[in-house]
Amino acid sequence: MNAPAISLPQGSRSLGPTHGGNGHDGNDHTNGHGGGHHGPVLQYQPGLPLTRGKLFMWLFLSTEIMFFAALLGMYVVLRFGAPVWPKPHHVHLSEPIGAFNTFVLICSSVTIVLAFESAKANKTKSAKSWMLATLLLGSLFLGVKGYEYAAKFEHGIYPWSPRSRVFEKPDLYYGSAVRARLGEPAMIDRLKELDDTPESKLSVEQVSARRRLLKVRQMVVDPNQQAFDLAVVADQVMPLPTDRPLTKHEGQEAGGGHVSGLNDIFPWLKLPAVIPGGTMWASTYFFLTGFHAIHVMVGLIVFSIMLLYKLGPKRAGMIENAGLYWHFVDLVWIFLFPLLYLF
Amino acid sequence: MSDHEPIAQAPQGHGPITRVGGIPLPDGNLSDHGSDASHADDHSHGGIGKYLLVFVALCGLTTLSFFTYSPYWPWRDQPHVGWAFMMTVSCTKALLVILFFMHVFWEANWKYVLTIPAGMMAIFLTLMLVPDIGMRNRMVSQERVLQMARPSDVWLMEKAGESQLLAEPAAH
Repeated sequence: MNAPAISLPQGSRSLGPTHGGNGHDGNDHTNGHGGGHHGPVLQYQPGLPLTRGKLFMWLFLSTEIMFFAALLGMYVVLRFGAPVWPKPHHVHLSEPIGAFNTFVLICSSVTIVLAFESAKANKTKSAKSWMLATLLLGSLFLGVKGYEYAAKFEHGIYPWSPRSRVFEKPDLYYGSAVRARLGEPAMIDRLKELDDTPESKLSVEQVSARRRLLKVRQMVVDPNQQAFDLAVVADQVMPLPTDRPLTKHEGQEAGGGHVSGLNDIFPWLKLPAVIPGGTMWASTYFFLTGFHAIHVMVGLIVFSIMLLYKLGPKRAGMIENAGLYWHFVDLVWIFLFPLLYLF
Repeated sequence: MSDHEPIAQAPQGHGPITRVGGIPLPDGNLSDHGSDASHADDHSHGGIGKYLLVFVALCGLTTLSFFTYSPYWPWRDQPHVGWAFMMTVSCTKALLVILFFMHVFWEANWKYVLTIPAGMMAIFLTLMLVPDIGMRNRMVSQERVLQMARPSDVWLMEKAGESQLLAEPAAH
């Protein structure tokens, strides 16, 4: 405490005489020696007044800012440069689910901050439980994201082409894709089976859908096919939900403006569908949320490792750095949510 | 970090020192060194109440941006109003997270060194995407025009939805 710390007239770097060549970034290593035996007590001045860990975390975050700025910028620029961009309902996005996930991430941001505060106050037990809560909330976020991805895949929305069943427009390519799908041997058997099923074994909806499917099958092979016919086929397979719904009761009845197409009533059909602007949308959506999800996963790995330690004041710096990273992940989602779900 | 523990109280010891080797000590404290016991002293902001307040504000702001989706949002036919509103809300939320959860509000001036260049790069990066990517549809080949979705396709799909071509035999 009473060690006389004397400043050097020139040069900012110095060595404590009793601790030659230490590699620490601490500011005062000679304190315990009550003045030492000789010479002035010198002080070490780091470049920035923060720990190396925190400095590196912030440097890493500034690269991350640029990384996500490029991704988000790419999305914004593609979206507003595109002649057609699907509405959230066209691509089966659910705004309430997105809002729920936002809430989950905000909660996890609070819990990690509370873990940090508890660790600082040497409440190791509560620090550990807050950390566990963060881990669980992060996993919940990923779970919800997985559920959303599954809903996309179910509708044939994939980020890449061989699996994706999304077409940009109801043109001849679309018509031939539907024809090809209906002509697959397994599909022929399945359709025959459906045709032979007595009406009594089908629901009212299925009976009507079967009739429409029959018409669709005729339309795609019709030599006198009109351009509009293919739009009708596309509409039957997977209709574009009407504009932002829920204004009237009918919106709720139809499940948020979602009218069921043939693909919904017979999930095994998996016919190609038309979503104008849907392919580019899928690329950007999976790219953005995918990279975000990878970041969430990395955070979860870090939290699981931290749970192995005793989270006392010694580890507070580590928790703070992990927290900084996690808040950044939250930050990205804060922009992703309105951009993807509400724009 | 653990070997710093015995000297964790050090910052209080060098109170009057404001310059070391001719360089001013930022904020007169170097105690922000990962450990930890001293950390608790210099961050007088720590109160959990503040974090909870920020949390409530964040939830409120999320609800606000979600409000644009509800039928009560008055500018449903003018999407730009909603977009501007949501971006404002998002920026406010981001600021709250950065300032309070990431402790930037209480940090020394080094924060500007790291955040401002990164922020500027982020903006330039986005702007530089505009000519090549944002305007890519202004000049495209005839072939590409035939392949890409256009507003007329959406219109076609809507008309198909309204058409009674297949609805007649159906029960409803």
